[in-house]
Amino acid sequence: MPISPLSRRAAAAVPLLASAVLLTACGSGGGSGDDDASGRPEGGITFQTWNLRSNFKDYFEGLIGEFEKQNPDVKVKWLDQPADNYAEKLGADAGAGTLPDVVNVSPDLSYPLAKAGTLLNLDREKAAARYKDEYTPEAWQGNTLPGLDGAYAFPWYLNTGPLFYNKALFRQAGLDPEKPPKTYDELFATATALARKSGGKTATLAGTPSIEDFGRYGVRLMNADATKFTYNEPRGVELLGKYKELYGIGGLDTQALTNTADTSGQKFLEQKVAINPGSAHDLDTFKKNAPALYKELGITDAPNNNGKPNMYVMGLAVSKQSRHKAAAVAFAHFVTDRGNQEGFAHKVAVFPSTKGSLDDAYWTKDDGTDEGRVRVASAKILKGAVNYTPVVMSEEMKVILKNEVAKALQGKKSPEQALDDAVAQSDKLLGQG
Amino acid sequence: MTRAPGWEKALRYLLMLVVLGVTVGPFLWQLSTSFKGASEDIYTYPPGFLPEHPTLGNYSGVARVVPVWDYALNSLKVALASVATNLVGASLAGYALARLRFRGRRVAVLAFVVALLVPLESIVIAQFTMMRDLRLNNTLVAVVLPGAVGALNVLLMRNAFANLPFEVEEAAVIDGANVWQRFLRIALPSVRGTLAVVAIFSFMGAWDDFLWPLIVLSDPDRFTLTVGLNYLHGTFQQNPRLVAAGTIIAVAPLVVMFACLQRYFFRGVGEGAVKG
Repeated sequence: MPISPLSRRAAAAVPLLASAVLLTACGSGGGSGDDDASGRPEGGITFQTWNLRSNFKDYFEGLIGEFEKQNPDVKVKWLDQPADNYAEKLGADAGAGTLPDVVNVSPDLSYPLAKAGTLLNLDREKAAARYKDEYTPEAWQGNTLPGLDGAYAFPWYLNTGPLFYNKALFRQAGLDPEKPPKTYDELFATATALARKSGGKTATLAGTPSIEDFGRYGVRLMNADATKFTYNEPRGVELLGKYKELYGIGGLDTQALTNTADTSGQKFLEQKVAINPGSAHDLDTFKKNAPALYKELGITDAPNNNGKPNMYVMGLAVSKQSRHKAAAVAFAHFVTDRGNQEGFAHKVAVFPSTKGSLDDAYWTKDDGTDEGRVRVASAKILKGAVNYTPVVMSEEMKVILKNEVAKALQGKKSPEQALDDAVAQSDKLLGQG
Repeated sequence: MTRAPGWEKALRYLLMLVVLGVTVGPFLWQLSTSFKGASEDIYTYPPGFLPEHPTLGNYSGVARVVPVWDYALNSLKVALASVATNLVGASLAGYALARLRFRGRRVAVLAFVVALLVPLESIVIAQFTMMRDLRLNNTLVAVVLPGAVGALNVLLMRNAFANLPFEVEEAAVIDGANVWQRFLRIALPSVRGTLAVVAIFSFMGAWDDFLWPLIVLSDPDRFTLTVGLNYLHGTFQQNPRLVAAGTIIAVAPLVVMFACLQRYFFRGVGEGAVKG
């Protein structure tokens, strides 16, 4: 539902990855992975980021230059992969034993790689584990993979965001544009009012509920050891029931059943839906691409029922096949240390995952601009935020949920039946993996 | 032939206009978006087709974000190499399958048909592992190699050769021409249309391919245009004007190529279909 490219990218993992990584088991396990990470950093390493070159080329080149100055024996080669099909690229590289030494991953991307034994377990590697206390516990936890006994990536930037709403559409429907919904109940009430007053013409939300929405609503998504999905519990059914009511009266976009995170964001830009959750950096997009919307833009906290907002986590993993692990660990830590994370977060509206960073005035003092306001509000959200999307939930399982939700909204199944079916199918897939 | 009544004619034209609008409309929208200035609202509804502040700035903007000319050169190398290997390989193989008698010929044809059914996605990892073993990963050669001789092209050429009247070649045999002479002097000149089709298909295939070059290339300096243009989808900001300009840059050579070869193209499409 959010238009954040991060979530779009998080949704990029593809079943192919799993099958690709399986190949590693019989292929390239022996790629001289015996190098010790505790030695002196030396040698040539490769560093792969995910679609950051076009906007941050100078930043990364500066970063690498500085690291090489501090560690004259290390040579860092920077690679950057385009946005699309990143999961396939990682899968192919892992399968062929050509994974870069330091690689930019999100937890759901690192899971299949770690499971196939291609990533370094940072909790088990002394040279890496000693840095653990530099990061916030939530961020380290966010990169810890269930059932694999440790964190497999240094926490890098975090992302979260407020709820954006369109004041003009509120006004047209006779609602007070300065009183956005604060809770789920108010959100549904607002949506109902908008739909009724506009005769079903103005939709409030662009998409169907995703797994993060279930999480924010307070649904327990999985059992404690992440072996079974549990979002078909009564609370989940309740949420889906409310969405179904909304769909019936035109509270959801007409194409809600097929909208993706990208197209949902687009509907908001086209001023066809009144509310869309987003990221702090979306402000820039609004300003540049939809100036008319930007003038009417309202910003409020995303509602959640359990006090824990959602966040997206990025990390830097170290390849187990790396021939220069000491250098790779040192570099991954260097990029994610407090100074460099804060430097990066000053360049674009993302948030550092290092301890104490968010107490800095930059993230606590509102400087009066819209950007400043969103930044401070988002930073506040991040304290206690969790990554709701279960890392074991593959793209296939997300599609299953989306399809079953669609059936429920169309009235082909009861919400209860739909969620039961989605859970059953997902559990089956989980059992196979 | 009786003349169609006026209303029917009008209906025909109307339908054609609808189809034209559906196929060309999105492209025109991209074209107009690529000329829109930075202050314009591009998400208005209904969409505005004429830019209010037309500018070429987005095209230079693309060049600023990605080294678009380097990528275009890489793509061009790959596409031309692919055209060359496909023309040579597919016509040789097609001629062999159509005209030479050898054991297992039917099985060979069947193998090519079956090869058509294998989706790239399912073998991409195996291909990549193979390229790594050949130490070709991260090179443009590896981008060309798997598509060097396309199965579809071989079958197209086979059908084209098979449809030539056999008597002409028999006459050549009597005149003492060997297989190579028959292939080069008689068969090839008669299937120019299909050769053009193969050239266009392989050029388009190589130019448009995304997944395989993405997987086999690691170094951003060696990216092809389709992969490189993906950088325009910035992680933290989208500028649809740049994306539109990039799309136009990527499509332009295909339009030019098609315009040059379309005479042969339509002849070629019909060539294989008519029994000789």
